[in-house]
Amino acid sequence: MVFASTSHALPVYILDYGLLAILVIVAFAIIRVRSLFAIVMLQGVYSLVCAAWFVSLDAVDVAFTEAAVGAGVSTVLMLSAMLLADCRSAPVPISRQIGPLVIVIIAGMAMLYAVGDMPAYGSATSPANSYVGMDYLERTAKEIHIPNVVTAVLASYRGYDTFGETVVIFAAGLGVLLLLGLNGNAGRWEACPNGQCVSDSDSVASIEQSGSLASSREGETKPSKLKTKGADDA
Amino acid sequence: MTMLDIFPNWLLAHGPAFLMALPLLLAAITAILPNEKIAWFSSFAVTLICTVTAFALALNNIQNGVSVYPLGGWDPPHGIALVIDALNAPILVLIAFMAVITIIYALPATIAEVEPKKRAPFYAAFLLCMAGLLGMVVTGDAFNVFVFLEVSSIATYTLVAMGASRDRRALRAAYNYLILGSIGATFFVIGIGFLYMETGTLNMAGMARILHDLEGGSRVAKVAFGFIIVGLGLKLAMFPLHMWLPGAYAYSPTPVTTFLSSTATKAALYLLLRFIFFVFDPDFEYVASVLTYVLVTLGVVGMLFASMQAIFQIDARRMLAFSSIAQVGYMLLGIGIATTASVAAGYLHLINHAIIKGGLFLALGAMWYRFGITRISDFKGMAKMMPWTMGAFTISGFSLIGVPFTAGFVSKYQLATAAAGAGWWWAVGVIVVTSILAIFYIGQALLLAYFQDPPKIEGRTVAKNEAPLAMLVPMWMLVFASIVIGMRGGVIVDASWRAAIFLLGGGQ
Amino acid sequence: MRDPHILLRVVSKFLIPLIALFAFYVQFHGDYGPGGGFQAGVILAASVILYGLVFGIAATKTAFPPSWIRIGMTLGVLLYGGTGVLSFLLGGEFLNYSVFSHNPSHGQHYGILAVELGVLCTVASVMVAIFYAFGSRQPGVPNIENANEDG
Repeated sequence: MVFASTSHALPVYILDYGLLAILVIVAFAIIRVRSLFAIVMLQGVYSLVCAAWFVSLDAVDVAFTEAAVGAGVSTVLMLSAMLLADCRSAPVPISRQIGPLVIVIIAGMAMLYAVGDMPAYGSATSPANSYVGMDYLERTAKEIHIPNVVTAVLASYRGYDTFGETVVIFAAGLGVLLLLGLNGNAGRWEACPNGQCVSDSDSVASIEQSGSLASSREGETKPSKLKTKGADDA
Repeated sequence: MTMLDIFPNWLLAHGPAFLMALPLLLAAITAILPNEKIAWFSSFAVTLICTVTAFALALNNIQNGVSVYPLGGWDPPHGIALVIDALNAPILVLIAFMAVITIIYALPATIAEVEPKKRAPFYAAFLLCMAGLLGMVVTGDAFNVFVFLEVSSIATYTLVAMGASRDRRALRAAYNYLILGSIGATFFVIGIGFLYMETGTLNMAGMARILHDLEGGSRVAKVAFGFIIVGLGLKLAMFPLHMWLPGAYAYSPTPVTTFLSSTATKAALYLLLRFIFFVFDPDFEYVASVLTYVLVTLGVVGMLFASMQAIFQIDARRMLAFSSIAQVGYMLLGIGIATTASVAAGYLHLINHAIIKGGLFLALGAMWYRFGITRISDFKGMAKMMPWTMGAFTISGFSLIGVPFTAGFVSKYQLATAAAGAGWWWAVGVIVVTSILAIFYIGQALLLAYFQDPPKIEGRTVAKNEAPLAMLVPMWMLVFASIVIGMRGGVIVDASWRAAIFLLGGGQ
Repeated sequence: MRDPHILLRVVSKFLIPLIALFAFYVQFHGDYGPGGGFQAGVILAASVILYGLVFGIAATKTAFPPSWIRIGMTLGVLLYGGTGVLSFLLGGEFLNYSVFSHNPSHGQHYGILAVELGVLCTVASVMVAIFYAFGSRQPGVPNIENANEDG
């Protein structure tokens, strides 16, 4: 992202910075807007602009994924989740916004600090392009014989990573299956001790949670006295 | 060595890949099994095979040194390599062994805590969690660490949320964990990206070599180091980044709490060791200053602060959770002092704490299983109601405090000697103070259990109702492990020294 | 009363097969241009989700039963991992596709094809599964309200 790259002409810079500016504006809009519907739509916009920017950076495969997942499917999923929850987000008191803001500023400053020593964007002599990256370009043609180096790296050279990513997706699906159920019928099943409940301190429920979680609800959680029940409800 | 001859050659050669491929594939199959008994059995078999494999690999490592397994036949740096060395072999055994313990215990526990039709997917999620942890420990590739970190994390968020059938607050805890864990993973992957920008490779040994040649590298490497420390700090519940931990431990299903407390933070600690001492080098100026000023400070503050908070908890599992944060402080202190002896002590404490906390959480889980108990005030007369469970709790508790002849004593003693050896006398004082604080929070539960009578319900004293054998056996296995390490630490103390010498060289 | 979404229905009926076809193009053209299993899986899932949005979840579930979706999730992981195990059984390292054929680069082709199919399978199934999970729930179920209060 430093100006040293020679291959990029002025229009490309204008395009890149224009897209980045849109991203920043959309990000601020997402933070400011209270309507969840608008937020979901703006996230779709964000992903689409991101995809366009990735194309401009010559990362076509990433752009494709971003457009398909970020702008496409995840918008629908977010909308369907929103329908189950609420249409407006509750305003967050300013005191709770300061912490995250400070963290974001510090992280941003740290990255800016590193920018000075970064290799120029697209530089052929940068470590990322000259060492393993260059080898991939040469070896794919010899060893795998497919034109798309990205596919060769993803599916073969680093196929194990892709296996891991597939499992990540599977884990996400499994999580949804476990928590919601595919038919929306993951009912409320109560766990029950396989014996006699002797917990006798309902009165202290309200002070059970100390510190940061103090605001969470109590009440429905306490097992009542003398709840004796068979082990297996199956 | 004769022990090694038992294992077939292909297992030793392909063991690293076997170790995560088997649980991943069986997790996929387990998820659609119709019968929970078969699901349990397949999970049990997988964890057992993984333990044997990890053990064989660890033996092989002792005998034949570092082994590298190039996945896909592509040698690093072009492909991803799995590496077994003195640092990760013991952790692999620990994770697989704790998985076996947890799975045995889960047989009765899931019946009480997990909806019948969800039990098979529950075991699948558990296997995914274990495979993710094993995968991130066994790999020698920095980005691959992130991939498997995500596998284990996503499975963990689900598992924590499964506690909702016992306590609805599990959902909130899982959500907190999800948000903070994702932030941690993002920081970590930003760090990896910067490291790639600096070195041009993702292989950890390659990164180490290049960073060494660059004598620490430019500002990009420094920022990468910062991001990696913060990201891992979130995952391992380093003191100010621990907010997710008490809730996640307190409300998840009891087998999940046990497994999480004894493996998840430990795998993150392993990664911290790996990045600080292997990829980076404590000789780099910025690494040294982070070790001395950040890790030690946070470790000590965490030890004191979390121990105090543990005393004032009402929920027993939250108490143990805060104690875990304090114990992480011990390990960070050991890492921060950065001598061979202190790192060995920190590493030993990592393994010991996994065993001790595992035992404590299993005992607490058994108490909930029989009597629905979660609060310390409910411990009244527990020694009469569940003598064996309470026995396990007591011994593990003593071990946590650091009573002589238990595992906790060995590692705390080593840590104190290492701190004294490096001239850090005040750190010895802190170790003593926090051990005294541990007497308070463990002691209040023990006092109630041993010196109070069981409660009366409708005029009748609650009868003795011991936990089932499937819970007692794993619990007492951990208790025995704790005592054996305390009496004659032998193998595990050696392993910790080997790990420290591997990282720092020399043997003081 | 006439269907207010008639236009939407007609257009989507025309578009959905094309979207699915495009998904397979992306899948099998991944060796030559941008694309691959992940993108193809998402696009394939998008065609199913579009069907669900226009014709309702119930109709979608008869076309793609949830039990298939569960099996599809598993199948993808098994296909990917199974490729690795097969290469291991044929004497190579885990995921070493070169052993699948006498000519290593042909072996690589087969291997990449198989694992990309695995990715497609899992990604498409999981995306549809998440859609089903959210879409099948009725807002206002007490269960949900409690969950929201808690979380």
